[in-house]
Amino acid sequence: MPYSATFKDHIARPRNGGEIANANAVSEETNPVCGDRLRLSLLVRDGRIERARFLAYGCPPTLACGSYLTEMITGMLIEEAMRLTRRDLISGLGGLPARKHHAAALAIETLRSAIESGCSELLTRNQTRAV
Amino acid sequence: MPAIRRVYLDCSATTPVDERVVAEMMPYLTGRFGNASSVHFFGQEARAAVDRARREVAALIGARPNEIVFLSGGTEANNLAIRGICEVAEAHGRHIITSAIEHSSVRGICEALEKRGWAVTRLPVSEDGIVHVEDVRDALRPDTVLISIMLANNEIGTIQPVQQIGELVREERSRGRKYLWLHTDAVQAAGRVALDTETLNCDLLSLSAHKLYAPKGVGALYIRRGVRVMGQNVGGHQERERRAGTEAVPSIVAFGAAAKLAREEFDGRNRHTEKLRDSFEAHVAARVPQIVFNGARAKRLAHISNISFRFIEGQSLLISLDLEGVAVSTGSACSSGSLEPSPVIRALGRNDELARGAIRFSFGKDNCDEDVDYVLEVLPRVVEKLRQLSPLNKTQVSSFEFRVSS
Repeated sequence: MPYSATFKDHIARPRNGGEIANANAVSEETNPVCGDRLRLSLLVRDGRIERARFLAYGCPPTLACGSYLTEMITGMLIEEAMRLTRRDLISGLGGLPARKHHAAALAIETLRSAIESGCSELLTRNQTRAV
Repeated sequence: MPAIRRVYLDCSATTPVDERVVAEMMPYLTGRFGNASSVHFFGQEARAAVDRARREVAALIGARPNEIVFLSGGTEANNLAIRGICEVAEAHGRHIITSAIEHSSVRGICEALEKRGWAVTRLPVSEDGIVHVEDVRDALRPDTVLISIMLANNEIGTIQPVQQIGELVREERSRGRKYLWLHTDAVQAAGRVALDTETLNCDLLSLSAHKLYAPKGVGALYIRRGVRVMGQNVGGHQERERRAGTEAVPSIVAFGAAAKLAREEFDGRNRHTEKLRDSFEAHVAARVPQIVFNGARAKRLAHISNISFRFIEGQSLLISLDLEGVAVSTGSACSSGSLEPSPVIRALGRNDELARGAIRFSFGKDNCDEDVDYVLEVLPRVVEKLRQLSPLNKTQVSSFEFRVSS
């Protein structure tokens, strides 16, 4: 399948590339099969993702997923971000070939591990409050 | 929005059909549409055209016309050569010597034969991407029946010592060895290096038309006189029983016309692409840091440049260049759907990062200085952008956030 206009736009003009110096949630994950790598750094304040930056090494879908994900999660509550799935990313990017779905899986995995690494306390506290 | 400039630097993948070639083939699509096997006027007209084309293709490689079998392209030529000879030779041995940098079609056929019990020795190459003749000699076994080594590599353009391997085969024959044949895949080399089947002393040589400014879907296999191969297409008497199926007359005519032009314009084309390629490489080396040129610089085709860009992945660079109008390829075009780093670049001893970051730029007769200028304007910018996004490129990360943050 051909890549969508949205996808190409994220490749041509990646959003939020880089790292946040004072990030409080960071993770870097590697896809063991293909070696693709994604690094996310988030600045979370009051349970909300205020800023997100990404670095990526890998095939075009890995870059596009990194870029699109940071755009998607900026301003999102961490609980909402934790509920995102790779399907959300794939449909947001206008679809990905099946053999490239692993790029979206890597992005979601990196997002969850970043939040868990930096905000586990916050997540637990909020969940307790919700109960 | 103005249309973006398009620069095609993927002439090793395919080439546009030369307009002179189109003009030659057109009449055979309409008025001269006969089946070359038919006895009537229309058939004979087609037969004469096929024979003329056969002479031209033979002339390109210093062969006799009746040693040329037309078929659908390079992959089929490799299949007919290797499977065809192995099926005939099976009683005398089941060992093949090939290299680690063959085209995927040769790799695939060898793997298929391995599954059927054949032994395959895949010779390594040195860092410059060239097979050693001594390694071929050392790998020879009493049951070796076929050596299949490409003439020039499709990714890095390195020219293999097929002539010396041919001499080795000749020596073996002079010692009384009867069942040893040499095949070479010359799909990339034809029209780009002078080929003479006598000098090469090969028994089988594969050609493809669409790398020579002719249409896709036609190619040829040179089969030395006296060498028997088992036809893989059966059910018709075409091509002297070696390839059943109605000849694709217009495509064959085009192949002949393209072969003639390739011979006549050989020096001019190669000088032209070499000048563009060398100028391109000199400027890239000056403008883009952290790159590695792949393959021997001297012993290679004049139109190919293969460069590994550190910290970035080839497919991402390819699509980013494509969005700026520059068409190149990564690895072999056939393997771009897989996640494996290029086996050819890995065979040079490069690590995964360099193998994944390898890009092939292949120039053609229709490229011009302005094309090179445009690529040199786009490439450093695109490489820099991707490197800024790369987590492997730790040295640049610290200063990067301020430049990219909105």
